[in-house]
Amino acid sequence: MNEQKLNEDILIVDNINTYIGQFHILEGVSLRVPKGSITVLLGRNGAGKTTTLKSILGLTPPQEGKVIFEGMEIQGKRAYNVANLGIGYVPEHRAIFRALSVMENLKLAERKKGDFDRSADFIFELFPDLKRLYKLPGNHLSGGQQQMLAVARALVPKNKLLLIDEPSEGLAPILIQQMMEAIRVLSETTTILMVEQNFIMASQLAHKFTIIDDGKSVEEGLMADLVNDTEMIHQYLGASIKTQKELEMEHGTQE
Amino acid sequence: MERKNKRLIIISSTVVIIAALIVGLYLYAGKEPFIRTTLSGLTLGSLFFMVAAGLSLIFGLMDVLNFAHGAMFMLGAYMGWQLYTNPTFIFGMLPAIVAFTCGVMTTPLMKPFLIRWEISEKWQKNLPKIAYVLAIVVLVVAFLNFDIMELAKTAMVAMTTTTVGNPLAEISPQESLSQFWYRPVLLIISGLLIAFASSKPGVKTEFAPKEGLLKKAIVPFVLFILTIVATLVRESAPIAILLMNGNLRFLIAIFVAVAFGFMFGALIEITLIRPLYIRPFFIVLMTLGLSFVIRELVQLLWDPLAYQMVRPPLFAQSGKAANLIEWLKNGHATINISGVTFPTYRLFVIFLGFLMFAIVTIIMTKSRLGMIIRAGVQDPQMVEALGINVKRVFTFVFAFGVGLAALGGIGAGPFLPIQPLMGDQFQMLGFITVVIGGMGSYVGAFIGALILGMGRAFGDYFALKLSLSPTIAEASTVIIMIIVLLIKPQGLFGKKE
Repeated sequence: MNEQKLNEDILIVDNINTYIGQFHILEGVSLRVPKGSITVLLGRNGAGKTTTLKSILGLTPPQEGKVIFEGMEIQGKRAYNVANLGIGYVPEHRAIFRALSVMENLKLAERKKGDFDRSADFIFELFPDLKRLYKLPGNHLSGGQQQMLAVARALVPKNKLLLIDEPSEGLAPILIQQMMEAIRVLSETTTILMVEQNFIMASQLAHKFTIIDDGKSVEEGLMADLVNDTEMIHQYLGASIKTQKELEMEHGTQE
Repeated sequence: MERKNKRLIIISSTVVIIAALIVGLYLYAGKEPFIRTTLSGLTLGSLFFMVAAGLSLIFGLMDVLNFAHGAMFMLGAYMGWQLYTNPTFIFGMLPAIVAFTCGVMTTPLMKPFLIRWEISEKWQKNLPKIAYVLAIVVLVVAFLNFDIMELAKTAMVAMTTTTVGNPLAEISPQESLSQFWYRPVLLIISGLLIAFASSKPGVKTEFAPKEGLLKKAIVPFVLFILTIVATLVRESAPIAILLMNGNLRFLIAIFVAVAFGFMFGALIEITLIRPLYIRPFFIVLMTLGLSFVIRELVQLLWDPLAYQMVRPPLFAQSGKAANLIEWLKNGHATINISGVTFPTYRLFVIFLGFLMFAIVTIIMTKSRLGMIIRAGVQDPQMVEALGINVKRVFTFVFAFGVGLAALGGIGAGPFLPIQPLMGDQFQMLGFITVVIGGMGSYVGAFIGALILGMGRAFGDYFALKLSLSPTIAEASTVIIMIIVLLIKPQGLFGKKE
């Protein structure tokens, strides 16, 4: 990642405000996602990270502010139109379709006929388990397998940007490693904006971060700068999150 | 593993109970009454299925309780019966409807240009309003002095007589073309104004690519041609239809009823239900109100009378056919099924019900559309996030459900009196079927419909045999529902939430 590459933003979110019912969930979120990067949204539970992703996609359309994707304003567009511009979405809680088989889940994600045939090899290389489970219904899959399917689904069509909501949520440590590896491979071809509560994972993967607190974006910067900024981490992310130094110490004792 | 075992136990015990029930009833009632009652049950079950399948899919996918489903069932019966006995009304109205639709369908053509139009925000808000008002004015002008009641009345003359007389003699002349021509023209203009307004001129956030305009022009173009054709054949088409072979005419009646139901459903979903998805409670009130409106309109057009539809020739010949082939050759009214005399038309209804179940099954399991529907029942937002236009799928499912109800209506036409309230009982039973089968499951709707149909038939049988009150047949429905809900509160095929 060089400086010049970071300057080219594929997605710009400018001061969006989103209401759900009567609740003012986002009260001014701004962020920039440089092309080719992994950007992570950080913040406490309920800060509005998931709503930010949904607002970008148009599932919870923002009432104010702008969302600019590849130079085009997309706020207010219907979610399916936004998705068809080349934005993939991996929802939280492994929202795969339980009544559909693994194959159907993947086929459903096709935008053009033959999308799946083109991407099948890549997907099965990334998640070999899915090939074995190809014909099983979604509700027979374990939590980790469901999460992989949810990610794989976003890879079927050619996407320019992936919105990933908590890929490590509820996964066993060994699966977290596999998921991280997969995301790293993905980031070679696609820009990624993700929400991640697991700070270790976030700090190892992401180039950029945006912190959302109480529905507002409060800090933005390079991940490398954040990991050592204990003060900021404790202020916005809570004491439960460990800094790089603390992590290193912990790892040290384990080894 | 444990879950699998538990499932196996449940399935096997269900099979044993059902088998025991069948054998018990067979031994108790004897062969002939058993077969006769079972066939009656299947007939009712088939009709229940056609009502319940739509209700179940519509509720499962979009959480809409359609209280106008019974009225749409009734409309299907009226439309089919009209075409079968005297199509003057249908062909008299056709040019107007097609012309208006033609205008509205130009929306995808206009939209890409109109949204790129540079106008101030004030005009963005007011232009559509002006266009809507103008459209309504033009619509009213187009129908001025157009005697719809007279069209409906001419249709009625022919059917109050149950015997097949000479309906041709009773077709009264319609407006001449020189008087009529401006109506379709005005209706096209009215439709164009609606299309203009719904394209949201000047609104930049709307999305409509300019590509593929030629493809989008096909539908309005075809409709335009159809408008001209329909205008020209207003008088000759009813005669041509009435001169046709009765069986073919009945087939066309079925097709017309289903097509009408489908388009009516699509229209209702787009105009009335779509704006209310965010207020689900209002949808219940709206559909309930709609059912009253439909009923009153039908009473206005055809008087609150009960009509008897003449059975098509294939089911009309007196006498009993010994087997299927003889029936199909001569068209007997009844048929011998291992010693039981059974009306052939009811056999046809059973066939229709099972055919529809097969078609729905194929659509749901084999097609991409079925995949989208099954996924949408669980999570419509995520389906949209994959890049699929869920609203369009909602419209299709609603239209499909109403089309099925209309098919049930015309299917019931030849053996139930056709009257404005004929759908109400089926709607009630449809809802109970859906509750028993599980919301959103078409298989559940099918099994539930068969169970309810059997309950009705055997209830009647026992009421007669043991001289119980005949209401036991109706009570059976509720008793079955209570038992099912006690064992499986989410319905037989319902998914746990």
